[in-house]
Formats: sequence, structure tokens, C-alpha cells
Amino acid sequence: MKSRKLLTLAGVIFLALALAVMPLMAACGPAPEEPTTPTTPTTPAVKGPLKYGMSICMTGVAAEKGSPMGHGKLDAIKYINEELGGINGHPIEAIWYDNSYDAAKAATIVKKMMSDGALFFTTNSSKMMMASQEIANRAGFPGIASFSSPICTNPPQHIYAQMPDYGDDFAAFANYYLANIWKGEGKPKLALHLLNNPTGSGSGDAALCLADELGIEIVATEEHTATTISEMESMTRIKAANPDVLFIGSTPAPSAVVIKNAYELGLYPGVVIGCAHASFTKAMVAIAGADIVEGVYGVFPTCSWGEDVPGMAKMTEYCKAYHPKDYGNMDYITSWAEALVGAEILRLAVENCGYDKLAAGDAAAWECVEKNGIQKLDYDVEGLHGPVKYTAGDNRLDKSVRVFQVVSGEITAVSGWIDAPRIPYENFPDKFPWAVK
Amino acid sequence: MGLPCGTYNYSYAKDMAILRTKTHWALFIALLILVFTAPLYCDNYLLGVANLMGITLIAAVGLNILLGYCGQLSIGHAGFIAVGAYTAAVLTGTFELPFLVGLICAGLMAGLVGLFFGIPSLKVKGFYLGIATIAAQFIIIWFINHLSITGGFTGIAVPYASIGGFVFDTEASQFYLIMTIAVLCVFFAKNLARTRIGRAFVAIRDNDLAAEVMGINLFYYKLLAFFIGCFLAGIAGSLLAHWIGFMNAEQFSISESILYIGMVIIGGMGSALGPILGVIFIRLLQQGMMFIAPMLESAFPALPAGFASGIAPMLFGVVIVLFLVLEPRGLSHRWMLFKASYRLWPFSY
Repeated sequence: MKSRKLLTLAGVIFLALALAVMPLMAACGPAPEEPTTPTTPTTPAVKGPLKYGMSICMTGVAAEKGSPMGHGKLDAIKYINEELGGINGHPIEAIWYDNSYDAAKAATIVKKMMSDGALFFTTNSSKMMMASQEIANRAGFPGIASFSSPICTNPPQHIYAQMPDYGDDFAAFANYYLANIWKGEGKPKLALHLLNNPTGSGSGDAALCLADELGIEIVATEEHTATTISEMESMTRIKAANPDVLFIGSTPAPSAVVIKNAYELGLYPGVVIGCAHASFTKAMVAIAGADIVEGVYGVFPTCSWGEDVPGMAKMTEYCKAYHPKDYGNMDYITSWAEALVGAEILRLAVENCGYDKLAAGDAAAWECVEKNGIQKLDYDVEGLHGPVKYTAGDNRLDKSVRVFQVVSGEITAVSGWIDAPRIPYENFPDKFPWAVK
Repeated sequence: MGLPCGTYNYSYAKDMAILRTKTHWALFIALLILVFTAPLYCDNYLLGVANLMGITLIAAVGLNILLGYCGQLSIGHAGFIAVGAYTAAVLTGTFELPFLVGLICAGLMAGLVGLFFGIPSLKVKGFYLGIATIAAQFIIIWFINHLSITGGFTGIAVPYASIGGFVFDTEASQFYLIMTIAVLCVFFAKNLARTRIGRAFVAIRDNDLAAEVMGINLFYYKLLAFFIGCFLAGIAGSLLAHWIGFMNAEQFSISESILYIGMVIIGGMGSALGPILGVIFIRLLQQGMMFIAPMLESAFPALPAGFASGIAPMLFGVVIVLFLVLEPRGLSHRWMLFKASYRLWPFSY
């Protein structure tokens, strides 16, 4: 009985301490710096809010990407509200929830955002969008996936992709490889190492779809899990297939494992390695080690840090002030850009439909945002990624990517913007039944 | 007002009744009214959470039969739910069969797969059986990912449930469908526990050697427990597929399987009430955690980056650990203690 009371007491003390420590840590932690060039809002945001829904993987197995992405979009909204005066005086209200990379949570979150009157929602992973998209499509609630798999936008419904998808990454890399790297005779031999989910299958489907057309021979296809710690066995099989090029469709940590194992087996350097955009981040370089990933190529749909584009200065200022650890992480750029695109959508919707219609946050408001916001987009995203513009039948808003390479540990652009034309999956209904349903 | 200080039964039928007193009946009817009028005062989000809880409850009831009553540890329950979900998805989505056919087939298919993976239960038990069922989780997911009919890694779309031309296309209509099936499943489980089968399950759980000596066919009853537990998992999977509308194998991870065990343990194993309380507790806790990070970040803007989002899973873990330490017999035991003290009040003994 006595020990039970002691346990109760210990529990209560622990919880109290946990709560008490929060403000203490806030006080002791690195104080957020003020932006170096604070700007007085030109038009104070004093009108009714515009609700922007965000389902973010802040925790869980995808937090390595979700956390910087969450920071990027929340910082951008802070910037829009505080420095730009919101959207025509209407502040953007970020309605965000942590989905923990859990599909059941994602399904309830999208319902919550609809109930909250959000005008549209965004996810930062294709898995979370896939868990949400059918609910949103059924309700006509528009959504934008920062990172997407072809199935998110095929066939086109109410879900849009901020940037080209994992399939487009493969197509862009393959074209770049054939034009600039491949010097051999005949068809280059391609090996694929794919994450066992839509992130990986997105690249794999595009490879299947385009291999013949591009003149590439697929000699090996291996898969891995998001939590893999060794791929020596699969990489040994790939080595035996003697590929010229290895394409990895995955996320940062497993991609780092694959590249490290390729290095340990002597396969790399030797073969050319290319990565799809979900894996090609600062985190991958940090996990694998800069020496090991030196020379690895990757496709990414945004600019890189430090480039001379109009949106870079403000984004850098906010990142360094509020989330300095994210500086150098391309995912931060993606989601900062996502918030700019979201703000532009809201601006168009307010101008075309009026605030009162949007304030209802109902099906009519969603239709208005989709028809008069998303589908009217024609915006350069301040150079942070390719321009966003809706084309009928293609729900990818940005349609260009760039090829990067790890040079001296830094992710460096080696190409200009490459068009990523839509891959006609629907022409292969036997292979891709999802594209026609 | 007279308080109940004893309930006297004058017939076996009365003694065996699930609801024995007028108070029981009144509370039961009030609960049903409260549940089935929820769409009148709950928004779509709350109904969505209730739907998720209802689906989870059906699966947890199945696991409770398997683990709580029969003592057979299964760490592959999410895999069996996946079997049901994909069976329903393929039958109703690809082959356009009626929802009810898909629902029943989902249960039967999951039950049959459960039978197969339950075979080792005759030879191994406890953690060893747990390891065998983990294999089920991985094998099932591997098959789902590598069969073209299931959509492979990409996944498969699932239409709305419909019965006789009525389409369950709103959160409220789905709520009625899910809750009706959930109530029927709970009622089935409660009654099953009072039958010869239920008593055989409990005997096997308490001491399988003694049960066999008493003439209980261990192989038959253990496999029956696997079949029933997995049948209910399949039913839950079918409802989940129609509710979410899109299935992908990643939705059925091993952590989900472990979470189901957690729900049964926290609710109280081997009681009809346990899964209900466990599911409500865990699912509400999960939903609560979803709000914590945004709330903390807005309340304490000076918090270091990542601290607010990191505190949510930590609190989730702390609450569960504290709960298991302070009430290892589950929430249903706490409810029994409350009921006992209510009956005896104001006397302590």
C-alpha cells in the first residue's frame, strides 16, 4: 500500500515536473533571435482569418522530414502575417495537427480540418496524403501534397501536387543521365532500390513505364523498409547484376544505408547513383557521411540554399532566427514555398470570391478555393522552385525539377530547371490500374 | 431512494441475464440513446473519431477473445485486420460485389488466415506464440505488397459501403453502420464468454494441461479462438477500408498490432468491458496528443524548436506507463471497484 502511494506520488511529481520544465526550458534554451531586418507590416492583418489546414509528421518515423517541413511552413505563415499583413489584410490561421505518420490519425485530422472550416489542406508526405485523399476527394475538400506519389494526382480529382512526383524524379534523372553522364554503348543497365511504399513504387512505376522509351535496361529491382539498418544482401545481388546506374527512391535514412552499403561493397564509386527527391536532403548526407555520398546525384524540385533568387533572403532570415538547425535542409525550402503557394491560392480566392464566401469554410468555399484559387495559379514562388500553374488534366502545380550532386559535402545544383512532363500512366492500365479508376 | 444492497435471482434465466436489474436496463438504454443520437450533436470530426473507435473496438474485442479469454498471445492482429480490409477492398472495389458479401468474406478470410497462423499454438505458447504471430504480420504484409490484385505498394481504392441501394456516404450514416456492428460484436463476445466455448477458453488460459485433463480439446478450442478473434479483426478491417476509402499496407504496421495489445491490457483482459474502455482510453489519448504540440507552440512561442512536438509522444508514454503501474488489472477492474463501493456505500465493508 505504501509503495503504491509512493508510486502515485512519483507519477504526479514527474508529470508536474514535465509541465513545469517547459517554460523553464524555454527560458534557458537558445532565445529565438528577432529577424535581422524586421519590417513593419504594411497593412496590419486585422480582418477575419483565412484557415489553412496542415497535417504534419512532426513526430513518428518520418519526423526527420516532417519536422523541418513543419517549421518551414509555420515560419512562412508568420512572415506573411507579420510582415506582409496577411492576405489583403486577412491573417492566415494555420490549423495544424501532428499526424505522427499514422494513417488512422491522418484520416481523423482531415475530418477535423473540414470541421474547423479550413479552406484547403496540405500534407508533407505521400503516405499521409493517401490516407487522407479519399476522404477529401469524396467531400470535394482540396488538398495539396508537398511530396507526392503519382497515385495522389492520377486520375486528377481534388488533390494537387505542389511539385513533380517521385515518378517524375526518375524521368528527369534518367534524361539527365542519358544526356550528360552515360558514355557507353547500347542500353545502360539500371538497378532500382525502392522503399516498400508509394514513395518507392512511384519511382519504380515510372521506370517501368519509361524504360523502353528511354532505352534503359532494368537489371535489378530491390526493395527496403523505412527502418532498414543494412542492405548488404540486396546490394550484393545488385552488384552481381553489374549495373551502370543505381536509382534510389526512398527517404533520407534508408537511402543513406543503401549508399553506405554500396560503398562498403565497392560498388560505389563506380556506378552512378541517383536519388529521388524524398531522400536527397542534408539529413541523408549527415547520416551516410559526406565522404561516402560525395558525387551522388539527386533530383530535387526546389532551389538550393544560398542561391540568388528573390525569396531566399527572407526565408534564410527566418530560418536562422527561428529554426537555425534546419538551415541547409532542402525540406525547409519546400515547405516555405508551399506556404507561399498556399498564400497565393488564398489571395486569388479572396479576390475572386470575396471573404464572406470563404469565411463559411464549407463545400462552397472549398469549390471556390479550388476553382478560383488553385486552378487560377500562375505564380513564380519567388524563384524557390519552378513556377506553379494549373494545367487541365494534370494536378501537378509545379512541373520542373533540377539535378543536384553532393560536392564537398554540399548539395549543389548541376543543372538548370528540367521540364517534367506528365507520365501517361493511364496508357498502361494493366500495369497501373489506379491511374484509370 | 433505495440503494441496491443485493440482487436476488429466483430463476436460472434471471441469474444468467446480462442486464439483471432495472438500473442496468435504464443505464443500458440511456447509453444506447446517447450513442445513437451522437450525430445530432457531434460534428464530423467527433463522429470520425467515434467511427475509428468503433472499428478499433471490433478488432480489440476479437483480440480480447483470443488473448483475454483464451490466453493466446497474438502480435499480428493488424495483419489480420489487413486481410479483412484488402478482402473487402478487392471484392467490393475490383469485383463490385455488395458490401455485405465483402464484409462477411473479409471476416471469413481473416478467420481462415488466423486458423493457419494459429496452428503453432498447440505446440508453443506465451512469448513463443507471440513470435509466431509476428511472422503472420510480416508474411501478410509481404503478400499484400507483392500481389497485383491488392495494388501492391501503391494501394487500392475502396468504395463507400452500401446496403440495398442505400450508400453510407456521410460520416453520420457510417457512424450508425459501424456502431451497430460494434454493438453486435460486443454482445456476441459477452455471450460467447458465458457459453461452453467461453468457459473452455478460460480453462485453457488458466491452465491448459488441466483443461486437457478435463476433456477440453486444446487444438480445437485454440484454433476456434484464433478463428473468432481474426474473424472480428477481418470485420473491423472491412469497415476500416470502406471508412478511409483507400488502403495501403503501411496502415497495418507492427506498432498497430502492439497498440491493440496495449488497448486490451489497459482496458482489462478477459472482460467484455475491457476492450471498450481500453479503446476509448488509447484513441482519445492519441487524439489529445495530436493537439498538444500546436497548443504548446502557441502558448509558449519561446519553446526551443522541436520541444513541443517532442513532448506529445513522451506524455503518451508516461501516461501509459503510469497507468500500467497504478492499475495493472485494467480500467474494467477499476470500474468493478467503483461499482462495488457504490453498492456498499456508505459502509466500507
